[in-house]
Amino acid sequence: MFCYQCEQTAHTDSGAGCATSKGVCGKDEATADLQDLLIHLLKGIGQYSTRLHAAGTPDAAADHFILFGLFTTLTNVNFNRARFVELIAEAARIRDRVRAAYEAANPGAPPLGGPAAFTPATDLAGLLKQASPASVRAGIELVGEDVIGLRSLVLYGLKGVAAYAHHADVLGQTSPEVGAGIAHALDLLASDPTDVPVLLNEALALGHLNFKVMGLLDAANTGTYGTPQPTNVKVTPVAGKAILVSGHDLKDLHAILEAVKGTDINVYTHGELLPAHSYPNLKAYPNLAGNYGTAWQNQQLEFAAFPGPIVMTSNCLIEPQPAYRNRIFTAGPVGWPGVRHIANGDYSQVVQAAQALPGFPETAPEKTILIGFGKDAVLGVAGKVIDAVKSGAVKHFFLIGGCDGAAPGRNYYTDFAEKAPQDTILLTLGCGKFRFNMEDHGTVAGLPRLLDVGQCNDSYSAIHIALALANAFECGVNDLPLSLIVSWFEQKAAAVLLTLLALGVRNVRLGPTLPAFLTPALVGVLVEKFGVLPITTAEADIAASLNRAAA
Amino acid sequence: MSEREVTLVTRDGAELRFPCAAKDNVLAASEAAGYFLPAMCHEGTCGLCHARVTEGKYTMGPHNSAALQGGEVLLCRCEPDENLTVALPYNQAQVLRYKVPVRQAVIESMEPAWQNAVALTLRLQPDPEQGQAVEFSPGQYMELTIPGTDIRRAYSLANLPNWEGRLDFLIRLAPHGQFSTFLREQAKVGDAITVRGPSGSFILDESSVRPRCFVGGGCGLAPILSMLRHLGEFQDSQPTHLIFGANRESELVPQSDVEAVTAALPQIGVTLAVSAPEENWQGFQGTAPAALDAFLSQTDEPIDIYACGPPKMLEAIEILLQQRNRDDRLIAERL
Ligand code: SF4
Ligand code: SF4
Ligand code: FES
Repeated sequence: MFCYQCEQTAHTDSGAGCATSKGVCGKDEATADLQDLLIHLLKGIGQYSTRLHAAGTPDAAADHFILFGLFTTLTNVNFNRARFVELIAEAARIRDRVRAAYEAANPGAPPLGGPAAFTPATDLAGLLKQASPASVRAGIELVGEDVIGLRSLVLYGLKGVAAYAHHADVLGQTSPEVGAGIAHALDLLASDPTDVPVLLNEALALGHLNFKVMGLLDAANTGTYGTPQPTNVKVTPVAGKAILVSGHDLKDLHAILEAVKGTDINVYTHGELLPAHSYPNLKAYPNLAGNYGTAWQNQQLEFAAFPGPIVMTSNCLIEPQPAYRNRIFTAGPVGWPGVRHIANGDYSQVVQAAQALPGFPETAPEKTILIGFGKDAVLGVAGKVIDAVKSGAVKHFFLIGGCDGAAPGRNYYTDFAEKAPQDTILLTLGCGKFRFNMEDHGTVAGLPRLLDVGQCNDSYSAIHIALALANAFECGVNDLPLSLIVSWFEQKAAAVLLTLLALGVRNVRLGPTLPAFLTPALVGVLVEKFGVLPITTAEADIAASLNRAAA
Repeated sequence: MSEREVTLVTRDGAELRFPCAAKDNVLAASEAAGYFLPAMCHEGTCGLCHARVTEGKYTMGPHNSAALQGGEVLLCRCEPDENLTVALPYNQAQVLRYKVPVRQAVIESMEPAWQNAVALTLRLQPDPEQGQAVEFSPGQYMELTIPGTDIRRAYSLANLPNWEGRLDFLIRLAPHGQFSTFLREQAKVGDAITVRGPSGSFILDESSVRPRCFVGGGCGLAPILSMLRHLGEFQDSQPTHLIFGANRESELVPQSDVEAVTAALPQIGVTLAVSAPEENWQGFQGTAPAALDAFLSQTDEPIDIYACGPPKMLEAIEILLQQRNRDDRLIAERL
């Protein structure tokens, strides 16, 4: 196996990458190899799909499968080997279908090669033997690290785009443009591209595409569940039976709330589902009791102590400990061998489990936090914000957003939030916020100092806010008193980064470490061309940000 | 003495003590002692298992220095050189301590199964603190106490983890066994019984990519049925074979049980081995180990063998595997 797609990838003397029998995340060799093969087949589907899109006859079901397939290969999503064996077989069937459609429309056209012509073995042993040409490292001796790194940037960014697109898709928001863009990138990767400018352009094109996808996702979420409103969320347990829902998927949470309707079971959000409490059509459910726990890397402690069933609706899953293995369920793209999976949206088993498990014996002294500052809520007080900046009461905005993780270097973000001066406003999104969102950050100019924009899926909202402020101040985004402090962990963050670069947002401070797949030369391009900054210390970076604003 | 004692001190002052062999790491030793601490990579890269050693010398194995905060250790790479005291950055309540639960259950049904065996079903009594869930790994056992005594006997669970408080066992009635005598002479539906469990390490290695072969003799089929049901419930697609051995056809597992398993696991192959069959017996003639030998002859691929049955059967399998000297792995439970 070889995998270096996430921030916690192994670093050894022979370089970066998880390359032994198990990745740092717990993904085993067979699963990693099968994921590579699935992606290989998806490239094959992409080769035909891009041509069908060009001809105006796209296969929507194939596009949908591509999104789901890519999503299963993100970090901390699916560890279930058996599932990948099935997905590979399904991918081969879909590839054959789009091939037939293409060949019927283009009689006599020369057959496509590469992944388009690949025949996967039908059993596990055979598949594992086929895996090595499908590795992201394949061909490195011919094309070198830079090209492999750039292809990886395109692939990992693409995975992030697909994950967001899938979230929008399940709520009915999709567009042929998205399917076409994704197929285009897969088709390019299928050709084993070596041209650096072509790859860089594709990465930026994916950044633009991701902006559209995130717009669709925003429309899907707000269209289905209403516009997020500032909301106080209980972060302490209430006596009674309990279900915990983690991941990012609002639709699954909604289905669970429907399933417990009329019972006295309390539903708690975990991690990236915290923002669900700000949607009017979700918070209307009396069973939605509060938020329990923090970010994904703490789940083993938190899940073990939770007295009810747990549902993981998307990333980030880590190895379920024996203490709760029997009461954790996965849904959607997620999976772990030997853990119950709910594929059909029927959560009755989870309700049954909640009834059988003890629940919380007592109600803890109540504590709440304030969330729900999506674009509409923030822009609703835009006048106040603008006045506060003009009067000098607010000097600077920091967007501290992105993923959390286990590495000690992530204390930087806690320090950053703590040490940012009182006359600054902190915007946050993603699960990185749990490093500082339980603290009271006070108010400035009548506004809360910490504004929680939502999930990493709500990056669109944050960008929208920045663009609207730039508009109000009649300047560019880069001239605003705004600094972006982005913590990345997995591939959705890679997609958001590409979006920021594509929109020309400069001076993004990226940490806690830079992606291992970016070679020094590629980092050089990001730094020089796009003004990406590696992080140093919180103090120094705060000072530098404020200086830039003053200059 | 090459064994060291490790003392973990939680943030709220609780002390957890366990032994740790030389060259073993603290995380592995704590898991062996039933304390599950947060961990992900188990190889010094992710940083999740960090803690602080407050007393004692240790050696840190290979690890990623970026995962390590000044003055701390990664427990998965920390090998004690002497007795060690470690401060954990969390409270006692957050250590996943595996305490074997003790519960009250009632006899819900007792039906004669095949040849001298009883299918016993118990139901957990409601308990507000522990709930009604039956949680275990297929292959594990429970200890049942004979009412009014301290006598406990271990029996494997034959069903799956569930939310209804249901425990199924397949118990062979031994002529002079104490629990057997209790079942035969005293037990009746509605009686209360204390159950202690689950315990046991006869469990599936679901991360293995090898084909699996299950070998059961007598009531050794109970845990194997539980494992097969589990694989069926999870639509496992790995090649799987079941060998069940008996002396006579009448002692074989009922056909309906075999059919239930093949319906849930379509890829499974089944060998029914009978050592002293009637004349017109169509299946394999010989013992379960002999059937395993025949099965191994058909494949070069190393397999995982899960065996549960009487000591004689297991010994024969061990000898057979030694003779064959292949890369197969034996995971076994003695009845
Ligand atoms: S996802 Fe991350 S931790 Fe997991 S194998 Fe890949 S690089 Fe390693
Ligand atoms: S923000 Fe990123 S790291 Fe956090 S839970 Fe979501 S996918 Fe995982
Ligand atoms: S478990 Fe990952 S460093 Fe120890």
